[in-house]
Amino acid sequence: MSSSRALDDLVVRVGASRDRDAFAGLFDHYAPRIKALLMRGGASASAAEELAQETLLVVWRKAHLFDPARASAAAWIFTIARNLRIDHFRRGSVTLHELDFHLEAEEPAQPDAILSGAQDAQRVRAAMLSLNADQAAAIEMAFFQEQTHTEISRTLGVPLGTVKARIRFGMMKLRACIERDRGDAQ
Amino acid sequence: MSLRRQPSEERLLAFAAGTLSFPEAVVVAAHLSLRPATRPWAELGVAVGGVLLDDQAPEAISLDARRDVMARLDAEEFGAEPRPASADPVLPAPLDQFALGPWRWLGPGVHVRDVLGTREGDCRVILLKIASGQSAPRHTHGGVELTCVIDGAYATEDGVFSRGDFEEADPSVTHQPKVVSKEPCLCVAALDGQIMLPGRLGKLLAPFVRL
Repeated sequence: MSSSRALDDLVVRVGASRDRDAFAGLFDHYAPRIKALLMRGGASASAAEELAQETLLVVWRKAHLFDPARASAAAWIFTIARNLRIDHFRRGSVTLHELDFHLEAEEPAQPDAILSGAQDAQRVRAAMLSLNADQAAAIEMAFFQEQTHTEISRTLGVPLGTVKARIRFGMMKLRACIERDRGDAQ
Repeated sequence: MSLRRQPSEERLLAFAAGTLSFPEAVVVAAHLSLRPATRPWAELGVAVGGVLLDDQAPEAISLDARRDVMARLDAEEFGAEPRPASADPVLPAPLDQFALGPWRWLGPGVHVRDVLGTREGDCRVILLKIASGQSAPRHTHGGVELTCVIDGAYATEDGVFSRGDFEEADPSVTHQPKVVSKEPCLCVAALDGQIMLPGRLGKLLAPFVRL
C-alpha cells in the first residue's frame, strides 16, 4: 500500500498541474477502497462503483482545494465519498460539500485543531490500536453499517446507553492519545 | 450534555461518519461553524474515517469504469464551485446553500420559517424566532430534536444559551426557558415529527403546535 504521505503528494500534484499520472495513482488506490467501504455500508456493487467514480471525479475537480497541512488525503477523500453517498441516497439537489469547509484551504486554519495533516494519519492509526475491542467495534460500526445507535445496540445486544458510552469513551481516548503523542513529539 | 452546550461525542462521530439524518447534520454543521472549539471532535471522526478507508480490502473496479473516468477528465471544469453570497451575515455558513421559506406567525412573538430542501422523512430544519421576554408553557418532547442558537439568547435553570450553543432535547427536561436577550432569539432546529417542537425553546410555542 502506498504511504499516506505519498498519497497526499499525488493529490497535491493533481491540484497543482492536473497531473493525469498522479490522478491515475489516486484512482487505483482509492476507487477500489471507496467501493469496498460503500458496499460494507449496504450499497450494491454497481452503485458503489458508480459513486467511487464520481468521488474520484470530484477529487480531480477540487484537488487544488486540498491542503495537506489540514487533513490527510484519505480523510479528505473520505468526506467527498461520504457526501456523495448522502446526496445519492437522498436524491436531493443540495450537496453537503459546504459542511466540510474546515478541511479545505479556503478557510483559515483553526488554532485549536488537534489534527494537522498527513503526519497525524499515523497518530490516529496508532491511537485506534489503543482502544479496547468494544470501543473499536462501536466506533467502526458507526461508520460502516449505516446504523443508528439504536440499531447498533440491537446488533451488539447491549443497551443503547452502553453503545453511546463506548463511542464516547473511545473518542475521548483517541483524542487523548493523539494529543499526548503530539506533546511528546514537540 | 446540554450543560456543555455542544453535541455529544457520539453525535459528532455520527456527523463525521455521515450517518446522522440530513436535518440533524445541518444543525450540527451550523454549530461547528459558529463554535470552532467543537471542530476537533468532528475532524477526529473524519480522520478515523480516512484510516478506515485506507484499510479497506480493495473491491475490484472494472477496467471500463477506470477508462470512463480517465476519458472524462478533460471535460471536467476546474475551480471552486461558486459559493452563494450570504444574504444574511447572521446565519451560519452551512445554511447559505439553502433557500428559506417565508416567516410564518405561530403565536404571540413567535415566528417560524422552513429551511427548504432539508426534509428527510418527517424530519426537517426550521428557523425559529422568538421575541424578547417570551416565556414558555410546559411541553413534552417527541423524537430527537436538536437546536443551535444563532442570535439572541434564552435562559433555563442550566443557564443562558446564546450564539453557537447547542442543545439536544431531553424528554425528562421540564424547564421553562425564557428569551433573555433584548433582540429576538433566533435558532436553527432539526424538527422530528409533525407536532413536537425542538428543545426547551419549543415549549415557547405550545400550544401553537401546528407545524
